[in-house]
Amino acid sequence: MSTSSRTSPNIADTMSASDQAVVTERGALSRGRAALAVIGGRGAGALARRLRLGAGTSLPGLVAGRIDPAITARLGAQLRHGSVVITGTNGKTTTSGLTAYALRAGGLRVWRNREGANLLRGVTAALVIRARPHGNLRRRGDAAAVFEVDEAAFPHVVAALQPRVIAITNLFRDQLDRYGEVDTVAERWRTALATLRGATTLALNADDPSVAALGDGFRAGPVRYFGVQDTADGDTDNSEDDRERVDVMDARSCPRCRAPLTFTQRYYSHIGHWACPACGYARPAPQVTARAIVPDGLDGTRFLLGLPDGEREARIALPGLYNVYNALAASTAALAMGIGADAITSALGAFAPAFGRAERIDVDGRTVRILLAKNPTGLNEVLRTLGTHTRAAHLLLALSDLPADGEDVSWIWDADLERLAGTGAQITATGTRAFDLGLRLKYAGASATHIEPEIAAALWHAVQATPAGETLYIVPTYTAMLAVRGALERRGYAPHYWEQRDV
Amino acid sequence: MCETGETNHEPSTAGETAAHPAATLRLGHLYPDQLNVYGDRGNILTFQRRCAWRGIALEIAPIGASDQLDPAAYDLLFIGGGQDREQEDIARDLRERKGPALRAAVEAGVPLLAVCGGYQLLARFYRPAEGPELQGAAIFDAWTIHPGKRVARCVGNVALRWNETTLIGFENHGGRTYLGANARPLGAVLSGFGNNGEDAREGCVVHNAYGTYLHGSLLPKNPHLADHLLALALARRYGASEAARLLPPLDDTLEWQAHDAMLRRVGVSPTTPRRLLIP
Repeated sequence: MSTSSRTSPNIADTMSASDQAVVTERGALSRGRAALAVIGGRGAGALARRLRLGAGTSLPGLVAGRIDPAITARLGAQLRHGSVVITGTNGKTTTSGLTAYALRAGGLRVWRNREGANLLRGVTAALVIRARPHGNLRRRGDAAAVFEVDEAAFPHVVAALQPRVIAITNLFRDQLDRYGEVDTVAERWRTALATLRGATTLALNADDPSVAALGDGFRAGPVRYFGVQDTADGDTDNSEDDRERVDVMDARSCPRCRAPLTFTQRYYSHIGHWACPACGYARPAPQVTARAIVPDGLDGTRFLLGLPDGEREARIALPGLYNVYNALAASTAALAMGIGADAITSALGAFAPAFGRAERIDVDGRTVRILLAKNPTGLNEVLRTLGTHTRAAHLLLALSDLPADGEDVSWIWDADLERLAGTGAQITATGTRAFDLGLRLKYAGASATHIEPEIAAALWHAVQATPAGETLYIVPTYTAMLAVRGALERRGYAPHYWEQRDV
Repeated sequence: MCETGETNHEPSTAGETAAHPAATLRLGHLYPDQLNVYGDRGNILTFQRRCAWRGIALEIAPIGASDQLDPAAYDLLFIGGGQDREQEDIARDLRERKGPALRAAVEAGVPLLAVCGGYQLLARFYRPAEGPELQGAAIFDAWTIHPGKRVARCVGNVALRWNETTLIGFENHGGRTYLGANARPLGAVLSGFGNNGEDAREGCVVHNAYGTYLHGSLLPKNPHLADHLLALALARRYGASEAARLLPPLDDTLEWQAHDAMLRRVGVSPTTPRRLLIP
């Protein structure tokens, strides 16, 4: 058999995490070990930077965790304002960014893990680089941490950190070869939440049945829900007109009794106002809400943000209903951290898009806009948000199957690429699975005009094919996004991502 | 790297059929709401488009969990893969409602494609790592044993020898499937795990029923298998020579580029001939 037996990216994390839950050692010996862990971790990080190993941002965490498996718990406990952990299939990075802005607007110093460093070792690294050689956090830990955490790493991170707030954005099928099926992921999360010992506020998406159900029987602290009450333009799947849309529903049965759910509103996939006609379980009433949602081109979205003290006008510099959900998740998390409504609202408005998420880059008079899409629901929402912008547009679609993307590309057949049929868009297909993508487009009735697996070559081809003054929309999977961004950086069109401002 | 330009067969909206179809086929899609996890839509779409490009009307009928199955009503049947808990419900429905009718259809020669979970459900039984054994529809003389969560799943790209050609796909299954003494596999594993990672066999074929772990989706990158199933369906309804006339070759350049790119990735040389059409 030549198929490699792939190791899960979390093996190292799993090993140290189980140990971390048990912090038994006390006294000088364990303090000495923590100091060694910090020194070793920071030394490894410094070495990696000197050797220009680039984004080796998890290395200090990996080394420190090997030296002292309890280092994450030990440093995490020193955070004066505690930690916020954000997980979910889509929206982790944007929600973390929005939450960090809100906490900062509320006067807190905020420490985050780096983009993509979202396994336990990435979280550990974020703490270790803020620790002093004697094994304690800098500034006496006068900070709050905001961590975006991979769905599979979530149980280990939660066990180590005992976070003050946990926000869960949504749960869709994603990388079935790595995470498993959505039921498996939900069960893993539920088990992890049941192990919490302290006071944790849980911020959950009321409109996602399998996420909302995680609040069922949660004992460690209060549960706060966020949800969309309505959209101004009737932008829901119920009202979509032209023809039957291809849609992926990953939660169609009741989390309690498994009877089929009914929806009075369905915004996308299984996100909406759901109820179980058999047992009566239904979408919980959210405390943080959005309504009257109005897109502001692709540059932003305006909506009425409902917080416990009333409603106010809000704007985010991000397109799409899915980003309104990210704003709601961040607002709910920030509220739970004691941040005031005005600070939250102004922070939402001030937030600049995260790396590759609707990011705009100028390339010789053309606008390049990168919209990450890594699973069928993500791709559907990006295509829906692009909407009429795809008419006669220039598009670069990039599909790769590296481990961070998921090696199974079946999901493109579940995504609604039929939206591109008849738009007259000039489409370049690229990535390690460029031909699969080209084939998918052919069967969607929207043929690719150019297929080139090599991403940088495809990028420059697509840029050349886009006249000055027009926009090239790039829709890549995760590693393809890194490759696109890397190619733009090397020619000086975009800042290196580690130079982007951290908050 | 390659300019594809316009396809010579004008793409039409999926599901659209010609005003005067050259032929009509009826496809029964079993449990579309429950078994749809591994890009199964790509298989249906491939049948749909490859029929539409040839002026064949393909009517797709969803067959849900509470529906009765009329064994004489369909020219072609498809069943996909789903999540574990949904497969329990489906196993019960097969046992209590549709099993005999499905067996009758297969024995009458109706072509059927069963992928992943669907393949397991149409075999004799599925023995999970814990919990009770699930009885299957016993169409395939095969059974599946889950070795437990501590044993690695069979995950990755997979290439098969199928007759004189190759099949390419992606597999992701925890259960190991074993064939009965006289059961015929779909193909020989050239790369990947196949049924169980032990005997280099993949899938199972009985009459015109094809069970396999390959998704990816399976049919778009294996147009010869898609056409083979369509040919079987047309031959039953219109006769073999008419089936051949109804299925002229299409421009499958892109299909084979995608197929060959993955074959090369797993170290298998592309073969000729490409087509294996009429049974």
